[in-house]
Amino acid sequence: MNRSSLSTLAFIAIVALATPSFAASKGPAAGKTVHVGVIADVTGGAGVYGTPQKNAYELANDDLKSGKLDAGGANLSFDVQDAASDGAQVVNILQKFMTDGSTAMVLGPTLSGEAFKAYPIAARASYPVMGTSTTAEGVTAIGPSVFRDSLAESQVIPTTVKRTHDKWHYKTAAVIYGDDNAFTKTDGDIFTRELKSAGVDVVDTETFHQKDTDFQPALTRIESKHPDVIAIGALFPEATKIIQQAGKLGIKAHMIGGNGLNAPDMYSVAGPAAQGTVVGAAWYSGAKYPSNLEFVKAYAAKYGKGPDQFAAQSYAAAQIVAYLVAHGSTTKEEMLTGLRNVRVIQTVLGPIGFDSNRDAKSSPVILSIVKDGFSYFH
Amino acid sequence: MVAQQLLNGLFLGAVYALFAVGYTLVFGVLDILNLAHAAIFTAAAFAAFSLAAAGVPLPLAFLIAAVVGGVLGILLDRVAFAPLRRRNAGTLVPLISSIGVAIIIGAVLRGIYGVDELHFVTGGRDAGTTIHLGPVTFTTVELTIFVAAVVLMLALSWVLRSTTLGRSIRAVAQDRIAATLLGVDLERTIAATFFIASSLGGAAGVLTGLEYNSVTLDMGSPIELKGLAIIILGGMGSVTGAVIGGFIIGAVETLAVAFGLSEWRDAITFGVMFIILVARPSGLFGKRALRQA
Repeated sequence: MNRSSLSTLAFIAIVALATPSFAASKGPAAGKTVHVGVIADVTGGAGVYGTPQKNAYELANDDLKSGKLDAGGANLSFDVQDAASDGAQVVNILQKFMTDGSTAMVLGPTLSGEAFKAYPIAARASYPVMGTSTTAEGVTAIGPSVFRDSLAESQVIPTTVKRTHDKWHYKTAAVIYGDDNAFTKTDGDIFTRELKSAGVDVVDTETFHQKDTDFQPALTRIESKHPDVIAIGALFPEATKIIQQAGKLGIKAHMIGGNGLNAPDMYSVAGPAAQGTVVGAAWYSGAKYPSNLEFVKAYAAKYGKGPDQFAAQSYAAAQIVAYLVAHGSTTKEEMLTGLRNVRVIQTVLGPIGFDSNRDAKSSPVILSIVKDGFSYFH
Repeated sequence: MVAQQLLNGLFLGAVYALFAVGYTLVFGVLDILNLAHAAIFTAAAFAAFSLAAAGVPLPLAFLIAAVVGGVLGILLDRVAFAPLRRRNAGTLVPLISSIGVAIIIGAVLRGIYGVDELHFVTGGRDAGTTIHLGPVTFTTVELTIFVAAVVLMLALSWVLRSTTLGRSIRAVAQDRIAATLLGVDLERTIAATFFIASSLGGAAGVLTGLEYNSVTLDMGSPIELKGLAIIILGGMGSVTGAVIGGFIIGAVETLAVAFGLSEWRDAITFGVMFIILVARPSGLFGKRALRQA
């Protein structure tokens, strides 16, 4: 190789390095318009979960325009529709997206219970859908066109139990979970199963309902059995109150929980009682993946507060879709094929793929609540 | 454990009772179910949150928010009930109309405050200090809530029994036309009833928000159905019945959990209500108790 070709190569390398990494590439779908539907509970009871999801897709729309999110030159956009925490509305919106002739796939809905109502319709029509927060057992088993990028509780909780048991060597545990929600019920079932198979004696099981605020009767009963560990199957509003009220009653047992406890405000709401609570989750806001740090910063700048796991999993879905579009998927059939052929995609959740059950293939993170945030549990 | 559970039930029952008293008062006077009562409960909690966030001391914020609840009650009557009353619309139409107002209040609150849970005290501190007394633990907030609820209910009982306004309210409850003929200002009395009922409902909302350090758009929904159960149990329109019903439901709920039946809690609560109603179909204190209060 002579000097001039060497300098040409060097020039190309410098240009390649200097070119901002987010400059949109030209993929096979360049110039095509691709609509992706999103169903989220922006209002109603699940509004606290659906709103960060909507925010994440709006951020993704911004990033697609600016080129930070690369869809290979296609005009990809996410159309977020509010299901108002109403299962019937979820079904209506899904049917609207499926029949409008222009929506290539659907992301969401927010809750597992809603997915159980709506996904069978998509599955019967081989229409690609992907859940980002529908973590209950059995969601992807609905049909071969149902995917999810959120780690199921069944992927997170066994690791949580194993890691905490390895460290604390506890003998007894109590389980408290919400029995009227597919997600928290799954939590309760899996915690019980995993604790028992780890040889832990489950001395008490208490249930509650969504929107309950007073957990003192249940916690008083739990405390009378003196468990070493309390496993919590709850979403954020209930989890913070359980932890805070346990602290108030002077309960000293270690507390462990699943994805529902992975919210940035956990410590500031539940208080010092939350310190040391171990949370098995799909995402860590402090994880050092480049797109994650950028996402956390951009989200906080746009919305005035950091993203939670609901937002992160939604943004990851947007990244997955952008990847598929960049590689040529623009119709529902191509999306389905694309999803089936995914090997590994870099997302804010880390590298992610799908297993043979169309569930997310990535590792859970085990976190410990510390003052004003989370750290890795060691 | 038993002492702690009884205390848990007592604190829970106090807020239930306070909420239900306002609920039943409107029914006793107007024979209508005000399904916007839970929305006012929520709105007052948000008002107290805003006041506290603006630096108003909590006791004062509580009182102002209760008054805000009362004023909302008067507005509710003017918008949802008074026009229908003038046209003799019966009891079902106002019921639907109150649901409409509840939805509007919810939408306005969502517009102003968003969907996130709000907290009176941040940084994870309890809103009060924790007191350990022998086998039981409680916070100063819980104690204040209990005392405030009891004081407010006693005050209501005194107003109904010993003041001119109370006599007017009871007269209207007894026979609206006769009361008007005897010189009772019907609209003024109804407005006063709504003010009292809604300020008590609002007070319950603020106290609930303070107790759990949590204000949410849907905080009224669990208590709405229970409130209805309580006033039916106590006897529709009976203030005494609502108080006792509130404590009964609070105790039954707590004891169901205390005996290890948490998954049956609501079924047991409503089962107990059913059994009492089979024995006494008009509730514990009969249907017309307010009129003799």
